[in-house]
Amino acid sequence: MTQPRRTNPLSPLVQAAPAMPAVALFLIGPGAGLVERSGVPLAVVVVAGAVLGYAVFVGVAWLAWWRRTFWIDADGDLRLDSGLLQRSARRLQLSRLQSVDIVSPFVARLAGLVEVRVEVAGAGDSRILLRYLARAEADELRGHILELARREGEAESAQPDGGGLADPPGPAEVLAAVPARRLLAGLLLRSATAGLLVATVLLLVVTAFTQGPAGILLALVTGGLPILSVVTEFLANYGFRIARVPEGLRIQRGLLSTQSRTIPPDRVHALSIISPLLWRRWDWVRVSVTIAGVEGDDVRPDVLIPVAPRAQALRLIAEVLPDVDVDALAFVSAPAPARWRSPLAWRLLACAITPQVIATRSGRLTRRTSLAPHARVQSVRVTQGPWERSLGLASLHADVAPGPVSLTGRHLAEGQVRPLAQEETDLMRRARLLR
Amino acid sequence: MDPAADAFAPPAAGWTPVSSRLATARRITLALAFVVVAAVGVVLAWTPLPRGWLIGYAVAALSVLVWAWWIIGRRVRSFGFAERDDDLLVVSGVLIRRLVIVPYGRMQMVDLRAGPLDRRLGIATVQLHTAAATTDAAIPGLLPADAAALRDRLAARGEERTSGL
Repeated sequence: MTQPRRTNPLSPLVQAAPAMPAVALFLIGPGAGLVERSGVPLAVVVVAGAVLGYAVFVGVAWLAWWRRTFWIDADGDLRLDSGLLQRSARRLQLSRLQSVDIVSPFVARLAGLVEVRVEVAGAGDSRILLRYLARAEADELRGHILELARREGEAESAQPDGGGLADPPGPAEVLAAVPARRLLAGLLLRSATAGLLVATVLLLVVTAFTQGPAGILLALVTGGLPILSVVTEFLANYGFRIARVPEGLRIQRGLLSTQSRTIPPDRVHALSIISPLLWRRWDWVRVSVTIAGVEGDDVRPDVLIPVAPRAQALRLIAEVLPDVDVDALAFVSAPAPARWRSPLAWRLLACAITPQVIATRSGRLTRRTSLAPHARVQSVRVTQGPWERSLGLASLHADVAPGPVSLTGRHLAEGQVRPLAQEETDLMRRARLLR
Repeated sequence: MDPAADAFAPPAAGWTPVSSRLATARRITLALAFVVVAAVGVVLAWTPLPRGWLIGYAVAALSVLVWAWWIIGRRVRSFGFAERDDDLLVVSGVLIRRLVIVPYGRMQMVDLRAGPLDRRLGIATVQLHTAAATTDAAIPGLLPADAAALRDRLAARGEERTSGL
């Protein structure tokens, strides 16, 4: 339980920051006519207008800040009262906590502030954003909320073996970090990016010889898209660090705005180990994950590690999927006729079912091994197109929650698919009963 | 091919088929779409287009109509479902065949749908939803009473299995 308090008093200054460029842009653009008529030099008006506009917005934001308080009440709920004229009171049940995250947008970081996002399970209004708190205060609040959530969760399920509480809240143990150079090299050598960059160079060479302007335009697209994606991914994943904390795995990343997200291991629904062709000489892989969560959550993590040596990635996977040995999966491979359906990748197409997980493998240029624990698979599908039918093949799909990972055992022998589907269904049912 | 190798073989209790009224419903929709195609043909007849083109158009349109008419019948006959002790199986498709297995414990919601034409003809669709968006388990062409009963049975079984967690 805590006393109602306000967010950091510097918050209005940060919140109003976008007003400055907005006002300046208005005066330069649509408002330029007004400025000309007044006869005052444009630069003076723009600076004065931006400062004045900023002051007004700071004033409004300050009033809102004054009227906004948050606290943890006697029931262990997080409460937020806010609103200048229209008051709103929001209440989150911490026993249903999904995540507490600390994000620091660029401007806030200049002021040494961070944003705390608290989310609980449920549809609609199921989150509270606290803008902004000082770093230390945010860390303390997060620890407090996680502690409360764990205690309440345990009281509700009344498990004999408490587990979490007994863990010492020792310092986070860093499991992996991605050096900036490896990140950049990895991003440049992703199959699609590398392909587009090579195409751009070729286009430029061809254009230089033929002097056709169309080639330049095309090169802008083929070169611009991958560069844009490399830059955004680099900014987002710069300084990527993943550490073990009592609540799960904490991911910190970002250059312009840093992000800190915690993945509770039991919310990982599926993951993919992805290795593009050009990464294989260093044995690097990327691991993407599907995390169950609230809909419309834009910053839900989808990457466990953006680029790492395979051995390190496998150690991370062992954190979220214990007892699964990725290298010892007994795959059922696609039969020889699959070469007529998928001439490049057919040797790699395979599916494996172990007591813990279902796994599928695919891809030639970019190899992809996907895994999902049986308890997380929602349904099983078998499909067969006309071409597959004529070759005696069929595909097996394991449906999981929406996210970057999908599990499809493509072009397997028709005779094997139904028994595999049946085995998976049985394991799914038992896996659920155990929980 | 030996029956064991058929990935879409029926379970022990066999498939429950859906009503042939579904074929009627889909053929009515097809016929309505064809009114538009025929109207285009009439408009074309007024333009100074060579006769040959017009005949080609008519032949193509008619063969598509005949083929679609026939495939609708096959597709409706391809639908089948089976309620087993722990899961529901739905099979469908002629060109691309599909089989979905949904354990009762994974169902989050069971929908009953019927459009205006469906209601006229007395059929309804039962659709299952799980936490995965890709689960594609819909059983169209059920008689309304059967559909309601199926929905209730599935919902009850789903609750039974989920509450046992």
